[in-house]
Amino acid sequence: MQRSTARLGAVTLFLATIGMPIASWFALQYAPTEKVMGDVQRIFYFHVPAAIVSYLCCAVLLAASILYLAKRDLRWDDLSRAATETALLFCTLVLVTGPIWAKPAWGTWWTWEARLVSTLVLQILLIASLLVRRYADQRDLGARLASILGITIAVDVYIIHKAVEWWRGQHPQVFKAGGKGSLAPEMSQALLVGMVCFTLLGISLMFLRYRGIRVESRSEAIRARLDRGES
Amino acid sequence: MSLKGPSIIRATWALFKKDLQLELRTWDTISSSLIFSLVVLLVYQFTLGVETIREIGAHRVVPGVLWLAIGFASVVGITRSMEVERQGETLTGLFRSPASRATLFLGKFLANGVKLLILELCLVALTVLFFNLPLSAITPRLALILLLGTVGLCELGTLFGAIVLRVGRGEALLATLLLPTATPLLLASIHATAEQFKPTASGDSNWLVLLFGFDLLYFFIALATFEFALEE
Repeated sequence: MQRSTARLGAVTLFLATIGMPIASWFALQYAPTEKVMGDVQRIFYFHVPAAIVSYLCCAVLLAASILYLAKRDLRWDDLSRAATETALLFCTLVLVTGPIWAKPAWGTWWTWEARLVSTLVLQILLIASLLVRRYADQRDLGARLASILGITIAVDVYIIHKAVEWWRGQHPQVFKAGGKGSLAPEMSQALLVGMVCFTLLGISLMFLRYRGIRVESRSEAIRARLDRGES
Repeated sequence: MSLKGPSIIRATWALFKKDLQLELRTWDTISSSLIFSLVVLLVYQFTLGVETIREIGAHRVVPGVLWLAIGFASVVGITRSMEVERQGETLTGLFRSPASRATLFLGKFLANGVKLLILELCLVALTVLFFNLPLSAITPRLALILLLGTVGLCELGTLFGAIVLRVGRGEALLATLLLPTATPLLLASIHATAEQFKPTASGDSNWLVLLFGFDLLYFFIALATFEFALEE
């Protein structure tokens, strides 16, 4: 697992390094300027992919949390911690880019809208889950408790998606179920490129962080063994 | 996790009775969370003022304030019910008993729920008093909304209470975990209550169905993961 994740991390990081400038070119040059909102709409090509990546990380978090509880292999816990941290990073990106876009588009930085509030809630919960892991005095306990929270948080993400339909806020509907999107073809292409590149970036960051955490836990295990040997 | 026959009902009942007996002897949890939520109600009433509330319309203000007070009360109450086990060092006893972890969850959840419902009775009466609501707002439907909202809060609260008990950070951590997670539940409860407090109630039951759905979802998540939180 160690070597293959390292390779996957390196390959995706390489692709993301090439991809991100291309995605930026697509977002800033290739895509046409939106008629009503103007240039500020280009944030959309970063905002939406970041949101998608944070959801993807939450899916990894859910799977890793369930697998840890089922198998008790600490490597799954390391992966779920890496997924939590990466999800937190992209969630923060979404929350930073959102208001910058919302101010000119809606005339307000922040509004009572389901997906906004749910994303903020997701961010708070991700931080809380990292805190719980840190507060626990044993590694196993922290891993177990964080896994429980991981499952709860991932279900919350599902509710975030559903929430838009239930509360019918003013968040723009990019993908209409069954119908044609309202995007121009160039815009869709720029969005697609952005999504692919952000996903690559997300995966590479997650696996790099995973490797970092693995090295951390192994060095801690060695230190514990040395301490025991000395006393 | 074994959920066999009537033994689980007996064990759950025993645990529920133990928690409630403890409460009835001291009234510790209910009184402390009641005073706390009373302060929340008063602070809102004081800062908003009677005039503003009348202008905005009580049905727009009161449901949020009421559920906020209930949410805070649940944090105080649930932390207290878990703290009792830690202070008395009775957790090990509970672990050693033949009762399964599912039973522990059910017993704690029911006891927390009943305590919170008793508190809500007082809280609703005080809300009517402070916010000058018509008595006609209190209907069986409001009782159902309170019941469904409380069930959801206590399911999540009992699960997170166990987590907080294990890492020992008290109310602050429980509030950080419980209140954001329960946002959809609180929103549905607030909307349903607002429908109830409107001058002309529309009888829309969508929010009630949603509340029921959340309760079911949280119940299964909490029941499935509770045993991992209490594992030694």
